[in-house]
Amino acid sequence: MDIQRLKPHLPWITLLVLVAIVGIADPSFLKPANLLSLAGDIVPLFIMALGLTFAIYIGGIDLSAQSMANMITVVASVYLAPLGIWVAALCILAGFTLGTLSGYLTTRMYVPSFISTLAVGGICFSVAQWLSGNRALNMDATQRNETFGWMIGRTGIVPHELFIALGLLAICLIIERRTTLGRALKAVGAGELAAAASGLNVARYKILAFAISGGLAAVAGLLFSVKLSGGAPTIANGFLLPAIVAVLVGGTPLTGGVGGVLNTAIGTLIVAVIRASMLYFGIAATQQQMVFGLVLIVAIALTIDRSKLRTVK
Amino acid sequence: MYELRAVEKKFPGVRALKSVDFSISRGEIVGLVGENGAGKSTLMKVIYGAYQPDGGEILIDGKPVRFSGPRDAMERGIGMVFQEQSLITNLSVMENIFLGYEDQFSRFGVVSWRAMAKAARKQLAKVKLDIDPRTTTSSLSFAQRQLVELAKVLTLEERVQGHLVVLLDEPTSVLAEEEVKLLFKLVRELTTRASFIFVSHRMDEVMELSDRIYVMKDGQVVDVVSRGAATPETIQHKMVGRHVDKEYYREQRQKPYDTTKPLVELSGVSLPGRVHDISLTLHAGEVLCLVGTEGSGREAILRTIYGMRTPIKGALRIKGETVSRLTARGAVERGVGYVPRERKIEGIVAGMNVYENMTLSQMPRYARMGWLDVGDERDLARKWISRLSIKASSEYADCGNLSGGNQQKVVLAKWRSGGSDIMLLDHPTRGLDIGAKEDVYDMIREMCDDGVGVVLVADTLEEAIGLSHTIVVIKDGAIQKRFDCAPGSKPSLYDLLHYMI
Repeated sequence: MDIQRLKPHLPWITLLVLVAIVGIADPSFLKPANLLSLAGDIVPLFIMALGLTFAIYIGGIDLSAQSMANMITVVASVYLAPLGIWVAALCILAGFTLGTLSGYLTTRMYVPSFISTLAVGGICFSVAQWLSGNRALNMDATQRNETFGWMIGRTGIVPHELFIALGLLAICLIIERRTTLGRALKAVGAGELAAAASGLNVARYKILAFAISGGLAAVAGLLFSVKLSGGAPTIANGFLLPAIVAVLVGGTPLTGGVGGVLNTAIGTLIVAVIRASMLYFGIAATQQQMVFGLVLIVAIALTIDRSKLRTVK
Repeated sequence: MYELRAVEKKFPGVRALKSVDFSISRGEIVGLVGENGAGKSTLMKVIYGAYQPDGGEILIDGKPVRFSGPRDAMERGIGMVFQEQSLITNLSVMENIFLGYEDQFSRFGVVSWRAMAKAARKQLAKVKLDIDPRTTTSSLSFAQRQLVELAKVLTLEERVQGHLVVLLDEPTSVLAEEEVKLLFKLVRELTTRASFIFVSHRMDEVMELSDRIYVMKDGQVVDVVSRGAATPETIQHKMVGRHVDKEYYREQRQKPYDTTKPLVELSGVSLPGRVHDISLTLHAGEVLCLVGTEGSGREAILRTIYGMRTPIKGALRIKGETVSRLTARGAVERGVGYVPRERKIEGIVAGMNVYENMTLSQMPRYARMGWLDVGDERDLARKWISRLSIKASSEYADCGNLSGGNQQKVVLAKWRSGGSDIMLLDHPTRGLDIGAKEDVYDMIREMCDDGVGVVLVADTLEEAIGLSHTIVVIKDGAIQKRFDCAPGSKPSLYDLLHYMI
């Protein structure tokens, strides 16, 4: 079996191997309750990675995701009291709109996506600071439970976040596999020039990809703030690197066109296991980003399609 | 002094050079001519070291040599002046001239600009270019840049033992007439310093400048002509002169087109750049062929009809409707299909399978509310796979792994299955083997029978003559002449060439 045929299967093999390693080191890791709560904890990160998948699938990147989530935790905390459940709509709309802005800058102004999203992320961060007065905010506990309590409860040993994650995954999977939007995004990622020469409105689809990424980052932020019952401009820091790692180790390369949201689900589980294993192996929280940084570099080097690159700067 | 003996070069599926013998002696100017795909550029790349031959040998002064790359060839005195200029426009002239060889002017890594300027002036004097070597290259005219490029190659003179061989690839294609004269005068004077290999599409120029001319066809040198020993026509004939019967281009299937049904009308269309005042009409069932040299504006005209270029003047009518601000999407909706020249980049999406490629231009037809009906898509793909006998393992096969001919069939099926009745074909047979070419010719005739209008940019002149109802000859962005090509009264190669060059 040659390496090219093995490559699509590497993500889930990696996942199983990692689970086995950690499971041998600590058998209690393999208890269903532990695995489920581990999965439940990673859901905000997963939703962010899900959105990022769209941006990366078309060959772009969305560096604003983390700042977006930060901002949304603040927005949710501030506006939960006056808006109630409608604050969710506000959050998603804000994410979608700012994602559209990134997409517009990238496709119409020819600002590369890593810069346009970085800039939009800067705006988000600043909005979060301004709106929160640069303080940590708390939600009113009763109101949070009344409005969003369903998001974070448990049924038996299954955390509710997992249902949300599965629901969003299913929707994204359907978009990817069964809709004209998904097909167009694949064409843009795999061969943008051919897509344009087939009469596709490439710019519109690219903008949509960034909008979806922004929207899902907002959902991630909302869920995170509900979980923590509050928000702050830096509360989701540390999400971006693992989220990108999740997409890439899942098998969606930076060059785009292959992989997809199901890959990201596996990639996120790999990130979850790596994170848990660092606890078992006694790696301090302050050192975790080093590990993710290294994993990211390895993942990019392994997945990137070099035939699509002329020069790298 | 420089010689190739029985040089071979193979690429997957093609023998690009077949036992080519070539020699050039001291101070000689040698011309190299051939049609697109004859093997000229492969031969040049072997000469300047970009390709290593698969057989035969390269001799310099009778001794066999092997180049590992262009730089290696340069060390042996072989220099190349590129058509697409290789100068870096934001560097100064002198930095360009000595790019990669700055060491001679530097001490401890610090470059002495004064020393470099002095040396650069000496090089520029060789090509009689009186400019400040500190000038930024981007501010020079095209002709001046070409001379700088030549000066850069001539620096080899000081670095290399022995005589130089300089390749000039299409050096005159964008020069004005006086500039061409000056260049030729300069090249003749420089024969004291170097030998020149001159590659050009313009037969008259090659004849004027060269001492001997190598004529290439199908990867072989078919003749070597000495100065004055042949007329441009005889050389042209040797370049293209393969025997092709009428059957090959399906001439017996060529039927008169429907003059009452204009599909595309361009009137007085000008584009940014050279293309100006283009007026032509495409009818149902007609193959209209745009003929001209590389860069004459053929592709720009195709892209205008497809909405990828916007006219600055004139009007475009599609099926009687005047359209302004046409986009590719809009063109597709009006029934225009485009088969681009760069099949692997713009034609198919590698990484997507056959049905995904076929429905890419017509997804709304296979979707309800954005929801794709994959079953229908697969049915379509299976139907066209059998109809065009596309060699693919199934409709799930990745189009990137198909052969060129089958990729082209997928592209054609994409448009035909969507009901496109205006087809723009840019080099549709480029790089295909003969069987696949004949399949494409058959498809073109079938399309015409169905009332499709075809605008064709053909791979060779014979193909253009054989396939077309109408030929429009374009030169420097303007229409020179229109020919009717009814079977039996087709224009000859010479008729076309007369207006092309």
